[in-house]
Amino acid sequence: MQLSALVDWIHRYKDEVVARKDELTDLDRQIGDADHGSNMARGMQAASDKIGAAVPATVGELGKSVGMTLVSTVGGASGPLYGTFFLRFGTAAGGVTELDAAGLSAALRSGVEGIVARGKAEPGDKTMLDALLPALDALDAANAAGRPEVEALEAAATAAEAGSAATLDLVARKGRASYLGERSAGHLDPGSVSSAMLVRALADAAKG
Amino acid sequence: MVGLVVVSHSAALAEAALGLALEMVAGQPPRVVLAAGMDDGSFGTDAARVAAAIEEAEDGGGVVVITDLGSAVLSAEMAVEFLPDPDAPVRIVPAPFVEGLLAAVVAAAGGGDLAEVAAQASGALASKREQLGEVDPAPDGAGPGLEPGPPGAGAGQSAEGAGPGGAGPVDAASVGTEAGASADVVLVNPMGLHARPAATLAGALAGFDAEVSLEVPGRKPAPARSPLSVAGLGTRGGDTVRVSAGGPQAQAAVAEAVRLIEEGFGEAGEAPAAAQLDSAVSTGRPAGPGLGVSPGRVVGPAVHMPPPLAAPAEAAAVPPEARPAEARRLEAAASAVVRDLHDRARAAHGDAAAILSATAALAADPGPLEAALALLRDEGLDAERAIWSAYSDVAEQFGAVGGALAERASDVRDLRGRVVAALRGVPAPGVPERDAPFVLVARDLAPADTAGLDPARVLAIVASEGGPTSHTAILARSLGIPAVVGFPGAATLAEGEPVLVDGGSGEVVAGPTEEQSTGALTAPVPKERRAFAGSAATADGHAVSLLANIGTAADAAKAAAAGATGSGLFRTEFAFFDRAQAPSEDEQTELYAGVLRAFEGSKVVLRTLDSGSDKPLPFLDPEPEENPALGVRGLRTAFRHEGLLRTQLAAMARAQTLVPGTQAWVMAPMVATVEEAAWFAGLARAAGLATVGVMVETPAAALSAEHVLEHVDFVSLGTNDLAQYTMAADRLSAPLAALNEPWQPAVLRLIEATVNGAGLASARPGAARRTVGVCGEAASDPLLARVLIGLGVDSLSMSPGALAAVAEALAASTLEQCRAAATAALTATGAREARDAASGVL
Repeated sequence: MQLSALVDWIHRYKDEVVARKDELTDLDRQIGDADHGSNMARGMQAASDKIGAAVPATVGELGKSVGMTLVSTVGGASGPLYGTFFLRFGTAAGGVTELDAAGLSAALRSGVEGIVARGKAEPGDKTMLDALLPALDALDAANAAGRPEVEALEAAATAAEAGSAATLDLVARKGRASYLGERSAGHLDPGSVSSAMLVRALADAAKG
Repeated sequence: MVGLVVVSHSAALAEAALGLALEMVAGQPPRVVLAAGMDDGSFGTDAARVAAAIEEAEDGGGVVVITDLGSAVLSAEMAVEFLPDPDAPVRIVPAPFVEGLLAAVVAAAGGGDLAEVAAQASGALASKREQLGEVDPAPDGAGPGLEPGPPGAGAGQSAEGAGPGGAGPVDAASVGTEAGASADVVLVNPMGLHARPAATLAGALAGFDAEVSLEVPGRKPAPARSPLSVAGLGTRGGDTVRVSAGGPQAQAAVAEAVRLIEEGFGEAGEAPAAAQLDSAVSTGRPAGPGLGVSPGRVVGPAVHMPPPLAAPAEAAAVPPEARPAEARRLEAAASAVVRDLHDRARAAHGDAAAILSATAALAADPGPLEAALALLRDEGLDAERAIWSAYSDVAEQFGAVGGALAERASDVRDLRGRVVAALRGVPAPGVPERDAPFVLVARDLAPADTAGLDPARVLAIVASEGGPTSHTAILARSLGIPAVVGFPGAATLAEGEPVLVDGGSGEVVAGPTEEQSTGALTAPVPKERRAFAGSAATADGHAVSLLANIGTAADAAKAAAAGATGSGLFRTEFAFFDRAQAPSEDEQTELYAGVLRAFEGSKVVLRTLDSGSDKPLPFLDPEPEENPALGVRGLRTAFRHEGLLRTQLAAMARAQTLVPGTQAWVMAPMVATVEEAAWFAGLARAAGLATVGVMVETPAAALSAEHVLEHVDFVSLGTNDLAQYTMAADRLSAPLAALNEPWQPAVLRLIEATVNGAGLASARPGAARRTVGVCGEAASDPLLARVLIGLGVDSLSMSPGALAAVAEALAASTLEQCRAAATAALTATGAREARDAASGVL
């Protein structure tokens, strides 16, 4: 995948987050502090503006620029979490302008591992990981089967959406929603929804 | 010096907390940098700003980072990764935000190193935990709420002997030994070692190469380097404090501490000066602000609550030649207590007279005294230990029997305290007894003090501790007694001095002027409590069935007189106690019919024999068991003695035909499986009883409620046993009392599971509605009763005396409020938090 497509990914994700801001905030109102949509929209708008003004020269720079911007503008826990994802993504990709299938998968996995290290959550804790981890597995499986990038990322996006939908029945064990205990069941995890949107934006960017 | 970084979602919160912390520092404060809130003023944290703050705070000694919650922690962790030097000396501490910041500021200002400042911040919750009666989670896994042992029996120096408050030197008298140094010193500043003097002390002692600790009787020694621990000692002017130190400069450190304490931290002169200033305006001496929690304006003499009575200490055996004299001393004390109770009973009227007469009769019972005298004669126990042991045995037996007798166990412990107090020549513990109305002054009141709180005598309550949801506040409001809590000057009120108390404004004035006293009441006006009218409902009209717990036909008559229209728990075992043989079917029929007659037109839930290894009966050939509470008890007894159960069920069915106007429901105690419930239901229906239920006392039954209710028509929650089995804490274990609490969220969740199970069972095609009742002590707590209704419980059964208060509480709240309180309690982290959360909603 070319750097230009990855830049497009960030803009597409921003558009999506801004368009569905209220939906994310409403989800967060059920089991959190009702700020996920506005926080993510503010952060992604800033990140999108930043890379629009100073176009990154490499994938590494893109990750660093987006990550640092999110860290400083989101405010809630998604700031350090998505920030870590992009920073690690950029570090793993390095000073390149194109990623092959294995390189893209490795960079994404490094970013997700950063989220694991930062948030100390596990699969099934009703967090963004419940969308991201299935997406990585689906991506790797498609790559192993030799399927083209567009199809592989489509499979990843579908897996992320399924994983997010499955958070409906889970009981939150991390983040503010965990204070609700059993009452968090019956609601989608907003972080998993915004994470599924992130993977979907990547699949769309690959299609061009 | 160690630098500090404060990470918070809110700039205002961080600034205010820092302001509070900096008040504690007299000299040079440490470098503190805030990274709080977002640039646009919204809540949030920013890892990049935290990283910059850490670099700015570095002052050569490393940086300690204090965070509030959630993303603040994540941002701080991330910030550390941003630092140019990966090995930079930075510690993110798991500290409570305000206390941790305060402790860190003081420790850093005192010259503590990075490890010391981090440790002080992380441990900053300890003094609050101790203050609120919780104990630090011990590394060996002992949980919060567990008392480590009898009060005063900690590992520190004993409060006995030469310790503070004992017979030792009162003025500063230093003792130097190779191991260290110590001295006793009397506090001269009226407010004692509160936070500010404690911080001064910590700062002054930080320069000595010595470990200094401060100790007062009955509390764990507090390290002088921790101002919060020292403040947590709760000292007041006039208290004696022992200063001890170890290390090379122990003597010098103790001398410095004594000097500072004797100087009074510049506060010693403040109180008299304030009093003089005030006397220019009026002779009344305002003693400072408190929190009014129960309205009413009164004036009356201050009477202090005596300190709790400690258990007698272990002592050497009394030599045989001294035993007769010791026995006479005990007999004299015991008869003085009986005489005093009789005298006061004669002087009292109404209910109070009846209660005092009953207590006097219990005191006159020769059994415990004879047992104590035997212990004294045969084993050489001294008088205090002998009578303590004898009464404790009785209280334990009463507790084990349960029901109405268990309620008398506290009377027995009260008597025990009275006799021991008489032997020691100190006032009896508990609420003081006076003939004339008075203002009760205490640190805080415990639930056990409720019984002694006579609204006809106690004009008002002034407590030095507690907030709007403390026991004192709840108790005072329920009794309609004006009260001020959190009043720091309580200890300085002189015994017998007239005090004006305004429970609305929180005003407390010692020695008020006539002008100030105008309009204040000098005699109590007990709150008018409507008698229980037989029915109850929430403010929005949701009807709740309130029933009485009874043990005998006489109880039934009394309960009916108190307005109860039915019984949710008739404990049949009372008919079986003290018998060599089980009563015959005819005798039982007569007895049960008597109870049914008291509630014509309503219902009585008859519980089959609840006996076994926990409450042995001779004809059940009990076998001693290692764990009676987990042994053959309740319905389990009937597996071996099915005939006894059949006889009981037959008698109940006959009683019902004799009194057809009363619905006789029957239920079995101590059920754990669906199979047991089905077996019991089969026997009961075969005997001719239509409405059959089981008790939910085990987590197993609660979690299986849906399937249990396929076989029975109703369940009744025994919350006392449910708490015992959920929390794995024996009901009779005093150190585990905090676990044995229906407010434990885990217990509440099992109640919720039971209600949900009943809902599912009722929703099955063709099924009649299954009801859930509560017949444990939980039902009689006016606050918890509303939570139970909010959880979906249908009926509450309690001791008849609690009916009016619970009905009144229900009428004050809507069903929606009850549900919100239930939700709040269910999601709380602990029993205390659950109570506070529910109280906050209601």
